[in-house]
Amino acid sequence: MDAVVANIAPQILFAPLLGCLLIAFVGPRLPRSVSAVIGCTSVFAAFALTVGLAAHVWHLPVAAQRIDLQFGTWALVGQAHIGFGIWIDPLALTWMLVITGVGFLIHLYSVGYMGHDANYRTFFAHMNLFVFSMLLLVMSDGFLWLLVGWGGVGLASYLLIGFYYDRQSAVLAARKALIMNVIGDVGIMIAIFLMFAHVGDQSFAVVFARTGAFGTSALDWIGIWLLVGAVAKSAQLPLHTWLPDAMEGPTPVSALIHAATMVTAGVYLVARCHPIYDRAPAAAEAVAIVGAASALFAATIGCVQYDIKRVLAYSTMSQIGYMFLAVGIGAYTAGAFHFLTHAFFKALLFMAAGIVIHNLGGEQDIRKMGGLSKRMPFAFWTFLAGTLAIAGVPPFSGFFSKDSILDQAAALGHPWLFAVGVAAAALTAFYMFRLFFSTFAGEYRGSVEPHVERVPAMEIPVAILAVLATIGGFLVLPGHDTFSALLAGAFPDAILPLSLADFDWPLVLGTLMIVAAAIVTAYAMYVISPQLRADVSRRLGGLRLLLLDAYHVDAIYHLMFEVPAYALAQACGVFFERAVIAGVPQALAAATSALGGLSRGWETGYLRRYGLTIAIGASLLLYFVIFGLHDVGAR
Amino acid sequence: MPLIPLDDYLVLSAAMFVIGLIGFLVRRNPLTMLMAVELMWNAGNLVLAAFARNFSDMSGQVFVFVVITVAAAEAAIALAIVVMVFRRRPDVDVDDISVLRG
Repeated sequence: MDAVVANIAPQILFAPLLGCLLIAFVGPRLPRSVSAVIGCTSVFAAFALTVGLAAHVWHLPVAAQRIDLQFGTWALVGQAHIGFGIWIDPLALTWMLVITGVGFLIHLYSVGYMGHDANYRTFFAHMNLFVFSMLLLVMSDGFLWLLVGWGGVGLASYLLIGFYYDRQSAVLAARKALIMNVIGDVGIMIAIFLMFAHVGDQSFAVVFARTGAFGTSALDWIGIWLLVGAVAKSAQLPLHTWLPDAMEGPTPVSALIHAATMVTAGVYLVARCHPIYDRAPAAAEAVAIVGAASALFAATIGCVQYDIKRVLAYSTMSQIGYMFLAVGIGAYTAGAFHFLTHAFFKALLFMAAGIVIHNLGGEQDIRKMGGLSKRMPFAFWTFLAGTLAIAGVPPFSGFFSKDSILDQAAALGHPWLFAVGVAAAALTAFYMFRLFFSTFAGEYRGSVEPHVERVPAMEIPVAILAVLATIGGFLVLPGHDTFSALLAGAFPDAILPLSLADFDWPLVLGTLMIVAAAIVTAYAMYVISPQLRADVSRRLGGLRLLLLDAYHVDAIYHLMFEVPAYALAQACGVFFERAVIAGVPQALAAATSALGGLSRGWETGYLRRYGLTIAIGASLLLYFVIFGLHDVGAR
Repeated sequence: MPLIPLDDYLVLSAAMFVIGLIGFLVRRNPLTMLMAVELMWNAGNLVLAAFARNFSDMSGQVFVFVVITVAAAEAAIALAIVVMVFRRRPDVDVDDISVLRG
């Protein structure tokens, strides 16, 4: 056991938990600001320790970078041993760095953003709970503790989506997210059952070492059930409908949970389970197809939505679709790289949008924005950096990560996935610039003049993320693939090559041209000519309505699941409830009462009748005693 | 002194018991009924004493004393109840006292 890792890793994990408990139990007796200080400090401590740990691990030889720490036994079930363990490898470290690093920046941002909120302490307690759960998820050494973290982030997500609990819509959105996520939890549970059935263990070390013992069919099933969990958590088709609604939560929550970290847990799961997916081609293909379909699906919806946060939510779903595509085709490092850059630019976009929303007094409708570039230059420049990054414009980070994925899709022989990816990239560029131009260009369309307030606690993290979103892609340069080298220790037995650096220039240039065309189209429609936009809207009227309602998926689910469930509940209420639940005790009571009615006739209250009854009874008894004894004697 | 045969005691006892039983069942005055009950009790006592003497086993007579003691206690309780009833009601007919019917 590596002593440095064994000392540091648990501290990383428990610093945010300690922060959460301190805020929850001690915070109410202290000034408001102390809660924020505890929240930020604990996450920053975790970040600093993670940096130290990462520096240590990345100095080890590649073969020694996978460290499995055992701290004891949690449960002994039959032959199965379930331990407390921490699993550190470059993949986990990548996620840990983002969770704690971006998490700290978002905590800092929240100090300003949530400054006026009455439930300030609760907010930081929940945020710290989230960071702890997410760290547990990525640091776990087995599927069971991963599932514990998985459930924990679901809980934190539920609590934070429903943070404004006096709003009906927020409560409903929180409930929806929880239910969708529980579907995924069940999927992972079934996968764990299958692992137990085949190898009798759930730890990564055993399961991954013995993938040969499963057989392809069983591995495919495990892969599919894990995918169910991943799809629910990462808001991919068909369990995506909770993510746009989750935007009911405060904007820092959207940035941290519903953009940068939690929703990428599905990507982490698939990448973590690469020994399974490498040997389960059907499941891996399902991952890639789900990802590509989600990327395109969400991108089309993003083109017509009017709520700034909903557009960003759909773009999150779309970008995670890219990551699924990447890990599905075996390009794990490309997926992880896109996760990294996406965490930078999407958190940046959400937080810059949060500044806009904050200054507009809670307005989220882009039809009531416009012309904000002069009023909020800081938000303008940072949002521009994020938009360029997500659209994949070089040299911003999104260009490198997205093109890595498309490049790998083409190189590994998936022309259809590549084509869908390019189409989604074009749509991404279009809707992001539509959003950007609608918000910042033209004339201000709102009725109330924005009240611009510059809060350093909000601007500093946004500025840092803007820098990261701009330069984060340089980890992968043509010929210098630093990122793959860093991650090599996590994929010692990967079947496919990990290199991201062999840019296929004709493809890259082709993609760039398409993206440029999309940006120009957005510019033409939303800056130069409102007439053109009106024409296009009219031409595509039916399609536009379909997209505005997100392909009616909510309505379809309502008809498919809610209506039958309500009908069943109604039927149960009428038949089962009244006939069985209420009927059986009532029948018992009636029977007892009738029996009592029969026997009460005996109780006349007439003393002499009792006397006669006793006399007759005694006579009969005497008769049987005497003649009974005679009978016995006769025999 | 000529020995009285056991059967005579038993016949007398049976007669006393039946008279007591009939008295209990046909009379409606609680005091008379109590006396009828005493008669049945003493019919039992007579049998116990007769058998004790017949078999020369004094435990039967001991039983008689126990029964007499208990009977006295019972009679005291019963009379107390009868007195309470008399105080509350003008008449003395047990058929009118049927408040405990089901």
